[in-house]
Amino acid sequence: MNEIFSQLLLGFEVALTPINIMWTTLGGVLGTIIGMLPGLGPATGVAVLLPLTFKMGPVGAMITMAGVYYGAMFGGSRASILLNTPGDGAAIATCFDGYPMTQKGRAEAALAMSAVASFIGGMIANVAMVFVAVPVAKFSLRFGPAEYTLLMLFALAATAAMSKEKILQGFIGMTFGLMISTVGLDGLTGVNRFTFGVLELMGGVDFLIIIIGIYALGEVFKSFKSVHDPSFKMQTKFGKIKFTKEDWKRSWPAILRSTPLGFFIGALPGAGGTMAALMAYNNEKNISKHPEEFGQGAVEGLAAPEAANNASSVGALIPMMTLGIPGSGTTAVMLGALLMLGLQPGPLLFQKQPEVAWGMIASMFIGNIILLIVNMPMASILVRVLAVPAKVLYPLILGLAFIGTYAITNSIVDFFILIGFGLIGIFLEKAKIPTSPLILGGIVGATMETSFRQALMLSDGSPKIFYGSPITVTLIALTVFSIAWPFVSSGLKRLKASRSV
Amino acid sequence: MYRINRILAAAILVALIAAPAFAQAKNYPSKTIECYAPSGAGGGWDLTIRTVSKTLTDTKLVNVAMPVENKSGGGGAVFLTALQSMKGKDNVLTVYSPPLLLINLNGTTPFSYKNTTPLARLITDYGAFVVRKDSKYTSIAQVIEELRKSTTSVKIGGNSAAGSMDHIQFLVVAKAAGVGNLKAIQFISFQDNAGAAQLLGGHIDLLSTGLGDVRGLVESGDLRVLASTAPSRPEYGVGKDVPTVREQGIPADFSNWRGIFGPPEMPAYAVTFWRDALGKMVKTPEWKKACENNGWVQSYADQPDFVKFLEAQNALSKDILVELGMAKK
Repeated sequence: MNEIFSQLLLGFEVALTPINIMWTTLGGVLGTIIGMLPGLGPATGVAVLLPLTFKMGPVGAMITMAGVYYGAMFGGSRASILLNTPGDGAAIATCFDGYPMTQKGRAEAALAMSAVASFIGGMIANVAMVFVAVPVAKFSLRFGPAEYTLLMLFALAATAAMSKEKILQGFIGMTFGLMISTVGLDGLTGVNRFTFGVLELMGGVDFLIIIIGIYALGEVFKSFKSVHDPSFKMQTKFGKIKFTKEDWKRSWPAILRSTPLGFFIGALPGAGGTMAALMAYNNEKNISKHPEEFGQGAVEGLAAPEAANNASSVGALIPMMTLGIPGSGTTAVMLGALLMLGLQPGPLLFQKQPEVAWGMIASMFIGNIILLIVNMPMASILVRVLAVPAKVLYPLILGLAFIGTYAITNSIVDFFILIGFGLIGIFLEKAKIPTSPLILGGIVGATMETSFRQALMLSDGSPKIFYGSPITVTLIALTVFSIAWPFVSSGLKRLKASRSV
Repeated sequence: MYRINRILAAAILVALIAAPAFAQAKNYPSKTIECYAPSGAGGGWDLTIRTVSKTLTDTKLVNVAMPVENKSGGGGAVFLTALQSMKGKDNVLTVYSPPLLLINLNGTTPFSYKNTTPLARLITDYGAFVVRKDSKYTSIAQVIEELRKSTTSVKIGGNSAAGSMDHIQFLVVAKAAGVGNLKAIQFISFQDNAGAAQLLGGHIDLLSTGLGDVRGLVESGDLRVLASTAPSRPEYGVGKDVPTVREQGIPADFSNWRGIFGPPEMPAYAVTFWRDALGKMVKTPEWKKACENNGWVQSYADQPDFVKFLEAQNALSKDILVELGMAKK
């Protein structure tokens, strides 16, 4: 224990030098801005930074890149709350209750809560990183193909079953998402599926394009009808960026529950922030006494995914730091940067370059504080975007959506996919099909399918591999529970109601 | 008169078109060079092209910016398609390795190395067959012996698609060792370099990968390399302490070469410039240091030799894929 503290102290000595405080601030603020723009996520942000990091040296490079990563988690939610346009995948769940809060004129409270929830999530996860990184990494290794399959299945089932009134629509959305995820080159056999000879489709449909299409473009298309409506009112008066005591009372338990969840999901290679945020949201909705308020501007429905996605960005650093294995797209780029700088990522990094490893960890504590301070005044400026007339704002969103899409793959084909999903977004709204199962299906579908087939290859075709370990059994139980719970809980309520009569 | 005028006009037109080209050739390169990694950031291709871009600009061999962009997908096939639309451009560079040949031969893409302008081969990495520290296997010969008894008894994984590099390099060795039914050997492909985690977690028995990809975990002792596919032990890097497949009595090797390519029909002045620049770059101390850091073996070959090498490798790879039944029909 003493050793950890002395190492952490060394980390703070490194992180608290003026130049490194500057890198921390720079990385965090840059990440916030990158996170706000649709299409530009932390992975792109870090990749753009790569050439600059050569001049910074290993410590500065890692500090800045980590700053971009968690900064993007802070920033991604801004556009979700204000414009119903998530900046990246991890901020989708923030739309569900963040945007309804804005529509009710509570944008200031939503922005404040998102910053505070992000801060707390990040800070607790940092502490966890210091003390339990190695055991968490060891545990995450126990997730083989079978465990991944069931984890994804659980996440999908929980999301699709999120609202029992719309359970059919939920499953329709999920199936559609899963269908999209089958497009592209199949890694296990090397065969192209549903690419219709279009080579750009070989890499599959990038889920970020689906998100930008459905949300950003969908939002703009939907407004075509209302944009000239004189009764369409804009917010012109803005209050202070703060939330009420009542908000806090409802949110803090959600934050504390979602942080460990996000941290652990982040630490699993290949799972990621989007899944963490959606699972945290489902979880809160399931255990809430007022599930009907979710989607209508429930503040805890905003706080939970915000805490979870920040915690997951910290968790994702664990496989990279302890094993030299990328846990996400962003950490893959960071690993590349370490190599370019002549460092050897792996279990020996903590011993050979403690100043880099611990300097980065310490900088994340400082970075979270800085981001909280920076984000409050920034939010009071950003909230004024709501005063911009739709006629001006929506063309801007359209432009950003197309630029963001091009930034992801540099391919024109994706513009058509983008527009297609914008139209699908309108259709989904008309048919009352929830978008989150569709998007989660698109994100985890490919991994779930390959994991399923990998597992069967490992077991020589025996299904026993799916119920042979404590982890798989637990995951099956959770899946069944998450589908059954909405019905059970409403049944219980009815029972109670009938008794009290 | 009329006719002379026309000829004159044509001559002027030609001169007008050609003049900028001449000027370009003289001042080349005067604008930004677009470098592309056909994979996501952080992988082997990405690392190579970024190191090339950095070394060329650091050593002032190139005085214009050389930003690197990632265009991933299809094991490199997506960018190969994009490269076709850059035909004749003088400011595009990319990097490829054996999958360039394999993705064409296995039918992933209709384009081959012939739809590029090869400029130079720079480095070679070798394949490695890796197990956990507590694995019962201590040599590749034991693995082969086990496979002879039962082809499904050893779970082999890799980080590339089936029919691409990690898969083929193992089969080349198995074939040389006399394993009969190559098709029956199971290869489990993992994405995003998840293979090492799967090996550490005990989900697979053996990982077929690159020597450079698992250095950290080998140094820390968590993983052991049973054998490398180098023809003889390289002078530095992880490979120098690892027995080769040949040392263990199996007459096979597999080189993961990496080279720099231009778009199809790259103009001659650009080709001359890059051949010269890359030839000078490989002699710089900066490049040598980068190679040592990454455990790459220098294997520079100028364009004519590189093209011959590609032809030979292509024929060889084709034979293997045909034998496996994975070649495109």
